Amino acid sequence: MKLTTTVIGAYPKIGDGLEAQELRRALHRHDRGEIGDADLGKVYDEVTRAAIGEIEAAGVDVTNDGQIRWDDLLSPFARAWSGVQPGPLERFYDNNTYFRQPVIDGRIETDGRSLVRDFSFAQGIAKTKLKAAIPGPLTFATLAARDEQYRSLDERVLAIADAARKEIAGLKAAGATMIDIEDPAVVASPKHIDLAREAYGHFADPDLALTLVTYFFPPDAVLESLASFPVAAIAIDVRSRDTTAFDRLDAFRTQQVLLGVVDARNTRLETADEVARYAERALKLVPQERLVLATTTSLEYLPRDVARKKLGVLVEGARLVSGEKVVA
Amino acid sequence: MSDNVLLTTTVGSFGKPEYLTKARGQAARRKLGATELEELERKATAEWIRRQEDIGLDVLVDGEMYRGDMVAYFAERLEGFKIGGLVRSYGNRYYHKPVIAGRVSRPKPMTVSWFEYAQSLTSKPVKGMLTGPYTLLDWSYNEAYPTRRDAVLALAEIVRDEARDLERAGAKYIQIDEPAIHARPEEIEIAIEAMGIVTAGLSAKTISHICYGDFAAIYPQVLDLPVDQLDLAMANYGYRWLDLFDRNPFTKELAIGIVDVHAHETETVEVAAAGIRRGLRYVSAEKLWPHPDCGLKTRTVEECVEKCVAVVEATKLVRKELAKVPA
Repeated sequence: MKLTTTVIGAYPKIGDGLEAQELRRALHRHDRGEIGDADLGKVYDEVTRAAIGEIEAAGVDVTNDGQIRWDDLLSPFARAWSGVQPGPLERFYDNNTYFRQPVIDGRIETDGRSLVRDFSFAQGIAKTKLKAAIPGPLTFATLAARDEQYRSLDERVLAIADAARKEIAGLKAAGATMIDIEDPAVVASPKHIDLAREAYGHFADPDLALTLVTYFFPPDAVLESLASFPVAAIAIDVRSRDTTAFDRLDAFRTQQVLLGVVDARNTRLETADEVARYAERALKLVPQERLVLATTTSLEYLPRDVARKKLGVLVEGARLVSGEKVVA
Repeated sequence: MSDNVLLTTTVGSFGKPEYLTKARGQAARRKLGATELEELERKATAEWIRRQEDIGLDVLVDGEMYRGDMVAYFAERLEGFKIGGLVRSYGNRYYHKPVIAGRVSRPKPMTVSWFEYAQSLTSKPVKGMLTGPYTLLDWSYNEAYPTRRDAVLALAEIVRDEARDLERAGAKYIQIDEPAIHARPEEIEIAIEAMGIVTAGLSAKTISHICYGDFAAIYPQVLDLPVDQLDLAMANYGYRWLDLFDRNPFTKELAIGIVDVHAHETETVEVAAAGIRRGLRYVSAEKLWPHPDCGLKTRTVEECVEKCVAVVEATKLVRKELAKVPA
């Protein structure tokens, strides 16, 4: 039986060669007023097409749209939602990559269609299974710079969860069946785990394969709690830091486990054997039909040529496990 | 109250003049030679030394006209590093993230001649400017060393040698920036151990700049960082880090950021002065150094000047207030 592979988060928007930097040039030209929104939009679309093409060419089973239009994880909603503004720059967790902290200055409202256009566009391109993604409510809420509307973190998280419910419904109506909820705060701030679970109850949908995606930090403090979230799958990063997760994966009795085995934050290239060995460790406690191999996080932390190679290794490692069981 | 209180300074980098930005682009495309580029870098450095004197800053910097990125600059000059592909830092900004591909070593000093040149242009002190070992590791990919600690300690020996060379060249102030120090709060002891290697035996005043991250997660442990002065972004954070000093008193000199470097608009003198007054609640005027939150390299030359003028004018205002208060 084949071991499924997938990507997480954003794909590199540009490459090193001049021909791969069209988006960078277009954004500069847009800033200078030399091209309008429509022309910039066309470039975004072309880069999205290229990203999906590269992910599929590597042989990955489930792709996303590469989040080419996203400045950072929170930006699609920070820009689209009423009651939220993109605020000051800050480093995104332990990365030398910045994001704009949301500032909440009113009641959060959305029509639930913030990502529908991008998803529909990607649907027209993807030849493999396509999943959507949204930022998770705990991450959005805990990374806010200011909140002038809600009286507590609990209120803020639940208000964001309600808005997320509308976005999820909008994506579902557009045809999405799989949606990643990227929520690293669940493992970065484990003390809020009960609040996060309550928030996920606001948008749980048995007809959708929702994945709670964690990364950067090990799930060790909350691993058993994650198993009680109303989602179809849990993604965990087993590479960024030491983790006890491999000995405890049997906590997930019904959910799929997306195992982040290819380090998307270091250029050192894993071997296919190494990837297969991680999978074999997990397979001691998770049956093959519920194990998915993934990158640890967004490949955008890597140069594009390295990202491409990492995808190749991910797929090759999965095939080693699925096929010949050659792993020592 | 003398001018020797509330000494004003900056964090290190300034905006590059247009002619230099253009020249760097040409050099990257090999349409301009290294000698020609360096001449322009020296010209821009001289201009910034003059501007800093005109503005009235007390402790100057060379402005880093010869650097693009604070890690890549060193990585390009160290053996063991290779320059990686482009990765995004934010929006449409990308940088070549270095790769530690082998054992690191320093073939020759990397910043000393720039320090000497800048210092030769002014009678005011110029700071020697280095990137700390923890940040050099954290902002690079590590393919060579088995653990992060191994890499940090190897880099510490290199930064130590550079710091000693700067001191020999006459630097009275040596800044060893660690903006990544709070990336992994669980590793603060590694950063402290590494800084101990760098500053051991130095008689120059040592400074470390820290910015953009969860400072609360490393406080008060960061007070054990073996430097004389911590240099912190504060304006961007609404000075909330100062609240931490209520519970655990701040024990070092504090260079306090009083203007936000990510905003095009410059704070009024009164707003900037209010920042200094807030700092004075925790640190005496002799130990408090007003400055912008961070390096100004993302701002235009004009914006840099405006921000620095706000720092200096705000400081004059507060110095006057202090002079009126009987001792």
